[in-house]
Amino acid sequence: QLPVVSVQREAEAQLLPDVGAVVTCKVCSINARFAKVHILYVGSTPLKSTFRGTIRKEDIRATEKDKVEVYKSFRPGDIVLAKVISLGDAQSNYLLSTAENELGVVVARSEAGVQMVPISWCEMQCPRTHTKDFRKVARVQPQFLQT
Amino acid sequence: AMAARGVPAEACVGQLVLPGDVLLLPAHPDEDSERLRLGAGAARRGRLLCGPGLRRSGAGLMATKCGLLRHRPAGGGGGGAFWVDSQQKRYVPVKGDHVIGIVTAKTGDLFKVDVGGSELASLSYLAFEGATKRNRPNVQVGDLIYGQFLVANKDMEPELVCIDSSGRASGMGIIGQDGFLFKVSLGLIRKLLAPKCEIIQELSQLYPFELVLGMNGRIWVKAKTVQQTLIIVNILEACEYMTAEQRKEALAKLSGT
Repeated sequence: QLPVVSVQREAEAQLLPDVGAVVTCKVCSINARFAKVHILYVGSTPLKSTFRGTIRKEDIRATEKDKVEVYKSFRPGDIVLAKVISLGDAQSNYLLSTAENELGVVVARSEAGVQMVPISWCEMQCPRTHTKDFRKVARVQPQFLQT
Repeated sequence: AMAARGVPAEACVGQLVLPGDVLLLPAHPDEDSERLRLGAGAARRGRLLCGPGLRRSGAGLMATKCGLLRHRPAGGGGGGAFWVDSQQKRYVPVKGDHVIGIVTAKTGDLFKVDVGGSELASLSYLAFEGATKRNRPNVQVGDLIYGQFLVANKDMEPELVCIDSSGRASGMGIIGQDGFLFKVSLGLIRKLLAPKCEIIQELSQLYPFELVLGMNGRIWVKAKTVQQTLIIVNILEACEYMTAEQRKEALAKLSGT
């Protein structure tokens, strides 16, 4: 009887982000034109290996797209809710957008290392040093907040 | 964890502070710093300014750099200010600073400029006075540029421009041929940039010369002859450690010979 060679893949199939899905990602670097992120969760399921995503400057906000400054919307280390708008080609990353009220920065740390409190859709404040920082803040639906 | 036993800030003015030192501010009964103000509220008059080297921490200030604590008392428009006078040679790009950069690469529409920071700054060819797509500035690799930072933060690559907000050069641009470029500490540059600086006044009585000071610690000097240039360079470098009397002595000797 001949030996059988088989290839075993991982037990569970990886959940792939689809166009229109809301994903949770962490910003890893910013540029004058776009922000690069690591996609951590698709909906509420964590991913075993992170995917890379890009949020272009014109996809950060829905209004006044030409006045957007990436530095005033995201910083490296922020946790962001975004929506997938394109899967990209073979080499490029997922293209994401935060151009909605419910999308944007959810968790951000200030320079002092303390988690900041949102005070408006474009500002967050550090509770220890009282400095205000600019971010594109997400208006999270009340049912998703846990206090 | 060490208990943060703070010292009153007024007592430390003019003395050495180390990173981690907590300085207590006199409590104002009408100031309620805990409550975050919602809505537009104009900055209250008499608000204390927390300058470089200090960070607000709870009810007081925490030093983040080592140096001498300085204080400017309240007066004029705003309240008083506290800051730390620290000495360092390594420059960190700050928005609005005027610096001297060396062009290291020319890639299409962008120049890469070394400003002495952790990253090379980018300079667009359109960021010169009177520059258009047809009329490009004549910048070569190795040229010296005097410009200011348009964008400078720890997360992005710094961006230099050689025009101000109204589009005029106001002294910025390519620094001419010849001359001598050298590096000093940032504290000496701040001293030289102070209004009515004695060092510059005394040197200008010695020989006529051209001087460009960059906030990144770089100085460019050009005098009539190479010897005069080198003398001025040596005096400026030695000013770091000379007292005023020693400097006056040295200059008197030079103007005598």
